[in-house]
Amino acid sequence: MHRLTSLRWILAFYTALFIIFLYGPFVVMAILSFQQGPEGGPQFPIIEWSTFWYKHVLGFAPPSRIAPLPIGEALTRSLTLAFATMVVSTLLGTLTAQAFRTRFKGSGVVFYLVVLGMMVPGVLLGLGMALVADQFGIQRTWWGTAFVLHVVYTYPFAFLVMLAIFNRFDRSIEEASWALGVPPGRTFRKVTFPMIFPGVLSAMLFALTLSYDEFPRTLFTGGNQVTMPIAIYGTFAVEIHPNLFAFGVLTTLFSFALLVVYGTLMSLSIRRARARVSGIQEDVT
Amino acid sequence: MSLSETAGAKMADGGTEAPKQAFWVRNGHFLLLAPGVVWMILFLVIPLIMMVYVSFWTQTTFAIKSDLTTKSWVTFFASETYFGALLRTLRIWLTVLFFTLLIGYPTALFIGQFVRNKTVQTILLVACVIPFWTSFLIRVLAWRPMLGKEGAINIVLQKIGIISEPIEVLLFTELSVIIGMVQIYVVFMVGPIAFMLARIDESLIEAARDLGASAWTIFRKIIFPLSLPGVVVGAIFVSVMVLGEFATAAALSGRKVNLLGNIIVTQVGSLKWAFAAVVGVILTVVMAIVITTLLRVVNLRREL
Repeated sequence: MHRLTSLRWILAFYTALFIIFLYGPFVVMAILSFQQGPEGGPQFPIIEWSTFWYKHVLGFAPPSRIAPLPIGEALTRSLTLAFATMVVSTLLGTLTAQAFRTRFKGSGVVFYLVVLGMMVPGVLLGLGMALVADQFGIQRTWWGTAFVLHVVYTYPFAFLVMLAIFNRFDRSIEEASWALGVPPGRTFRKVTFPMIFPGVLSAMLFALTLSYDEFPRTLFTGGNQVTMPIAIYGTFAVEIHPNLFAFGVLTTLFSFALLVVYGTLMSLSIRRARARVSGIQEDVT
Repeated sequence: MSLSETAGAKMADGGTEAPKQAFWVRNGHFLLLAPGVVWMILFLVIPLIMMVYVSFWTQTTFAIKSDLTTKSWVTFFASETYFGALLRTLRIWLTVLFFTLLIGYPTALFIGQFVRNKTVQTILLVACVIPFWTSFLIRVLAWRPMLGKEGAINIVLQKIGIISEPIEVLLFTELSVIIGMVQIYVVFMVGPIAFMLARIDESLIEAARDLGASAWTIFRKIIFPLSLPGVVVGAIFVSVMVLGEFATAAALSGRKVNLLGNIIVTQVGSLKWAFAAVVGVILTVVMAIVITTLLRVVNLRREL
């Protein structure tokens, strides 16, 4: 579409506006996180620039009437939960996608059964699980009832990612390995897994972020011990303070760090794969 | 496919363990499927069935009894408040869906069709995703200082001189809920559409141009139809999330706008399980109709 230069510029300008729209609240939030504390509220104007709310989030601020965010416990719970969810849903997703590589009867039913997990709104699933727990006398906990729902939610994403990876996967390499007498388990470890590793990493990242931020499912099934999103939701009913915004900025920075790690692992894996291929070529020639 | 696998397996064992190996090849996928399917039946299907079942139970003040009744259903449809919430949910859902498509499509068009450099494409998409790393709830709350009477938008508009008095309808109205939802969910529309647009074969468009098609015709006859699966996937994402929403409405409307989700949360809070289940079933039905209609337009499995 090189002839449409004017349209191209209009759309580029539009996209710039769009990105400003996406970042607007975030920028406002970042500015307000430097509000003076503890009297300054989460609104303009900025009374005085300060880092009070950051200290407040991290627990360095002198005690005041504003309760600190339960960073220690709730955050630990959230991260533990996200990590467990990531492991289980990636494992399930990979297994199921592996099964989908051969055609079998009823694959459509299984496909939609799995995909249903990401299509059912969280509030419904949370309600359903709470009802089941209530009727069967199961204690509602973040590591029990909430955890299984987190997997129900993230496993379809892992499955779809892995399915897409396997669809673009050259089967003959595996077959060559089998033909050479390598048992299936070893083939998976040595041939299949290195090739699908980038996909596994993406699936893990998906599951981790979705679970970490998950909240309607956890609301009904998490029990008394709150995770981070539930703790934030708890502040909805009462007054909100800029400490939430400071926390938001900090978590975003943390996610940035996580993405850098992901990017590094990804490019390392690609480079290693390339090195291996060229190594094989050298061996052959 | 399976033939060559069997052959490979047989070769691997030199024939001694052939029956066992063949069994694995033939039935292996059931073993692979079992954990996932069992998990989904236990923790997805059963809770949903339970919800339908409980919606017919008898509600007493603090408990539910398993005596079947349609009382909760009658209450829902007889009540102005609750039935109104259903209509409001549908209205807000359609509005948000319309605006996410309207606002998202041009961006997706730019990223998918006009940016031919893969790296720039990725950078733009990542730029769209970065705001998602802030907790959803905090992003919702960040709209309050944006929209408020002394919020960022009013300050900026007054500075430029477009308005003299602050606009008050921006916060704690249905409008603020819609603005918030559109901003939060629009990326789910952009992503799939941009993905489909980037996959369009360049030569198709060149051929059309060589045959004298105008830019508009190319868009109407080639680009838009080929991006349709992306639109549908985006619409599914947005619909699923908006229909089940309650946090945005609670935070940005000052509890004035009640969606079905809000009613569920309130009812569960006051232990009205049966009634919450009724609202849940209604939401499920709405959801099912929306998704099956959308899936009729596009086959999700084939598009992967």
